[in-house]
Order: sequence, then C-alpha cells, then structure tokens
Amino acid sequence: MSGRTGTRLGDAFSYLFMLVMFIFFAGPLTYLLSMAMRDKREIYRGAARYIPQNPTIDNFITVLNNSYFPVYLWNGLKLAALSGFGVLIVALPAAYAFSRFQFRGKGLSMMGLLLFQMISPLVIMVPLYRYMNRLGMLDTHFAVVMVYIALGVPLATWLLKSTVDGIPRSLDEAAMIDGCNRFSVFWRIVLPLSAPGIASVFIITVIAGWSQFLVPFLLLTKNDLMPIGVGIFNFRGMQTDSSIQLLAAACLISVVPAIVAFLSLQRLILGAMTSGAVKG
Amino acid sequence: MSPIAIEVDSPPQSRSFMRRFAGAPLPWIMPVIIVIGIFYLYPVIDVFRLSFTNATLIGDNQDYTLGSIVNALSSPQLPDILWATLIFVGGSVIGQQILGIAVAVVVIRGEKRGLFGTTILRTTALIAWVVPGIAGGIIWQMLFSEAPYGALNSILRLMHMPTVAWLSDPAIAPWSTLISNIWRGTAFSMVVMYAALKAIDPSLYEAAEVDGATASQQFFFVTLPQLRAAILVNMILITIQTVNTFDAIITLTGGGPGRATEVISLYVFNIVFRNYDLSGGSVLSVLMLIISLGLAFVYASFLPKEEEQ
Repeated sequence: MSGRTGTRLGDAFSYLFMLVMFIFFAGPLTYLLSMAMRDKREIYRGAARYIPQNPTIDNFITVLNNSYFPVYLWNGLKLAALSGFGVLIVALPAAYAFSRFQFRGKGLSMMGLLLFQMISPLVIMVPLYRYMNRLGMLDTHFAVVMVYIALGVPLATWLLKSTVDGIPRSLDEAAMIDGCNRFSVFWRIVLPLSAPGIASVFIITVIAGWSQFLVPFLLLTKNDLMPIGVGIFNFRGMQTDSSIQLLAAACLISVVPAIVAFLSLQRLILGAMTSGAVKG
Repeated sequence: MSPIAIEVDSPPQSRSFMRRFAGAPLPWIMPVIIVIGIFYLYPVIDVFRLSFTNATLIGDNQDYTLGSIVNALSSPQLPDILWATLIFVGGSVIGQQILGIAVAVVVIRGEKRGLFGTTILRTTALIAWVVPGIAGGIIWQMLFSEAPYGALNSILRLMHMPTVAWLSDPAIAPWSTLISNIWRGTAFSMVVMYAALKAIDPSLYEAAEVDGATASQQFFFVTLPQLRAAILVNMILITIQTVNTFDAIITLTGGGPGRATEVISLYVFNIVFRNYDLSGGSVLSVLMLIISLGLAFVYASFLPKEEEQ
C-alpha cells in the first residue's frame, strides 16, 4: 500500500519536475516566436501579449526582403555543407585505420586528437588570421571551410571510429579472401555499413558550422560573403528597441534550419553520441 | 554472386603496389595529420612563440621580449576577468551537471513508467542545445531585457512584483549569463548521463532492493558511484566548452556592465581583434589553454583506477 502511494508521489514529482524543465527549455523559444509575430504596438506589451492579438508574418517578409538575409542564409548553408563533406573525406579514412590497423602510437594519437579538440578556436584563430592575411586568403570561403574542417575533424574521427568498430571484422576478412584490397573493402563494405554513423557525423558538423561565429567573423569582411551567424550579429547592431520584432524574426530564421536538421535525424545523432560516450 | 569476387582486371603490379600502400595505416591517417598540422598544431606553436614577442595585428615588425607576458599577467583587469570566468565556468559546470543528471534520471523513470511528456522534454532540451550561440544571446536578451518587451520583468510587473536589473546590475548580470548558458548546455550533459544511466547493470538495483534500500539510498549508493567516470568525463568536456564560450555573452551583455561578465575568452577576443594586441592576446590564449588542460587533468586524476589503463 505504502509502496503504491510512494510510486504515485514519485510520478507526481516527476510530472512537476518535467513541467518546470519544459517551461525553462521551451519558454525562451516560444517567447522568441511570440515576439517575431507581433506588430509594432504589441511588442511593448511584453509577456501580457504572449499570444499576440494580431499575429503577423510581416516581420519575416521584411527581414527576407529588405536585407542581406537570403545571402547570409545561402552562405551559411554552403559553408556548413561543404565543411560537412570535407570532414567526412578527411576523417573517414583515419577512422577506418584507427579501427582496423594495429600500429605503434595508436592510442596516443587518438588521445592527441582529443587534446586538439580541447583547444579553443580563439587560440588558433590569432595566428591563422595572420597567415591567411599574408597568403591573400582573407575573404575567401575556401579558407573558412578549411578551418571548419579542422575544427570538426577530431570529434568526427572519434565518432566514426566507434561506428566502424561496430562493423564485424569478419566481413572485411571475407571480402579480402574474395580478392578485395583494402580500398575496395573500405569502399564497398565499410562505407555502406557505416551510413548511419556517417549521416550523423555529417549533420553534427553541419549544425556546428551553421552556429559558427568566430571564424567567419574574423576571416571575412565582405557583407555578401557572410554566413548567417555573423549576419545576424551585424543585423542586431543595426536594430533599436522599436524594431526588436524584426530582430526576433531574423533570429528565428537563423535558428529554424538547425532545429529542423537536428529533429529530422535526432535518433541517428543521439545514437552516434551515446555509443561514442559509452565506449569512450 | 557478388561483384566483389571478380576484381582481377587491374594488372598484378599495380595491385601489389596498392596492397602495400593501402596495407599501411599512414596513408589513411595522412589527411587528418595534414589538416590538424596546418590548422591546429602549427598555429598553437605559433601562439606560444607570439607570446614571447611584442607583435601586433597590424604591423609586421616584432621583437622577442618578455614584456608582453609581464604586461598581460600584471594587468589590473586580469583578476576581475578571472573572477568572472570562475563564476561563469564553475556555475555552468555545476548547474549543467546537476540538471543534466536530474533530467536524465526523470526521463528514464518516465520512460519506464510510461509517463506522458518524457520525449517532449528531452527533445525540447536538445533543441536549446542546437541554437547557435549568437542567437541564444539574442533570445535571452529579450527575456532579460529591462525594456517594456522584456519577458521576465513584464511577468514580474503583471504580478505586481518589483522588477530586476537582470543585465545592468553588475551583481546580477553574471548570474543572468550563467542561466542562459545552463539553458544552452544542459542537453549535452543530459545525453551523456542518459547513456551512462542506461549502461548500469539492472541487477545492482535488484540487489539493493532485496537489501531494502530506499530510492534515495539507491541513488546515492548505486547510481552515483556507477556514474563516476561518466560525470568526470562530462565535466572535462563542459569545462573546456565553457572556458571557450564567448559568442553567447557577446550578444547578451557584451561583457558588461563594466567588466562584470567579461570572461577570459571574450577578453582575449577584445584584446586581439579590437585592440590589435596580438602578443598580449597570445599570452592570454596560452593562459586559457593552461586553465582548460589543468582542470581536465584535475578531473582525470579522480577517474576510477581501471579507467586509466
């Protein structure tokens, strides 16, 4: 009897906790949506107009028409997607090697990769800015993508290694007996079977690239090269208290693609992250 | 049956070359070595070198000197910066860790009991995590703003309570930035803790139940010890993440009021790219690196013995 009431009490407490947490996590985003859909008069009503009386999509139209926003969005997408492909090209062969070869210093180089992951992009951007400047590579998307790739490679290699570890070695061996060399084993067996892991690493890298601010902010100066992260930072600097609804709309536009990309592959991403975390 | 078996059309000489080439690990790892070498290793070495110079971002001339190190470390602002960093990093690590465990425990309990809303909560927390730092700063500024549209203050006003100077009072602003960072970062801890909780052997709980352990005893004597390694690894990751965060702060407070929320990464950013002081920024970059790695080693030393092999 007491055990039953205890479980009930636990359920009630769980529900209460989940409600509080839900408000904490969802509240800010719904308020952003509310602000983005208000007209000029309603923004001054604050939380009293949580659900706007005259909801409007004019702010989104204004932002997309009157500014560089479509360009920022395109640049953001381009840089993020290219870095996603680049990370895979660089990290996949290494993940295969770390998974299938035994060689001296393997553990050490895996740890070394993690150490690089610990270094702030801020630290490496100082010298990189100078090199790029001297090489005349400032204001090129190439430079930005290369830095994104470098930032994404350590984690991607770790995650992809744990994916490849999950493919039975016996498949490799069978293919080798059938006359495959390492390249064709990699290309025909390992790559297709790692597809879920590859997809999640791609999405993780794309979302990270989409969120990037520092690298493009430093390496790019021309407005028509800026990706969304820098674009919205600059856009914010031009707004006043009376155009906060426009900033909210712009902010929402920059957030939604990342959320959609994440939600559509949520299971894959969590799978890759947790298997990496558990196996270390 | 499969086309895999019929691969004999390449001449034997190139095949043996391919086999030798592909059979060694180095060619496979080469791309990573090149990318990391050019974009990580060399810049890091250069940061160490630059901190022994008086280089600026604009000029090309530089001399080797210890002056930059002395100047940067004896700067009267540094204690305030380090204090702000300590509050921000310490608070974020503690807050995200505790909240991450709590959410993960409740989500797992909810899944077991079939409670409504567990998936919704998990997904919402993860959405906050995907929000770009700059956007996160803008969102929280709308919540904390003291202008009429500020969400929190307008709620307080509706309830006839005194408003709070969330972002303009130097004593309160650090806590505001902290809350916004916990909002963004908790989902990561939640994912790690969720995976670790799932990996705990259920028979441990059965044994505890037979021994008559209460729910809280089970949590403190079974769950927490089993989570020890995951908690420490997670703390390493969020510490480094938080030490390096500045984009969320730059839009939320810009480091103000005064220097109340100017953490070390924002300080480095300002010194290098607003004051063009390359050498000073390099010294502080190195300091940042030492803080991250130092804390990581401290946590790692608490890892259970069998994890260290």
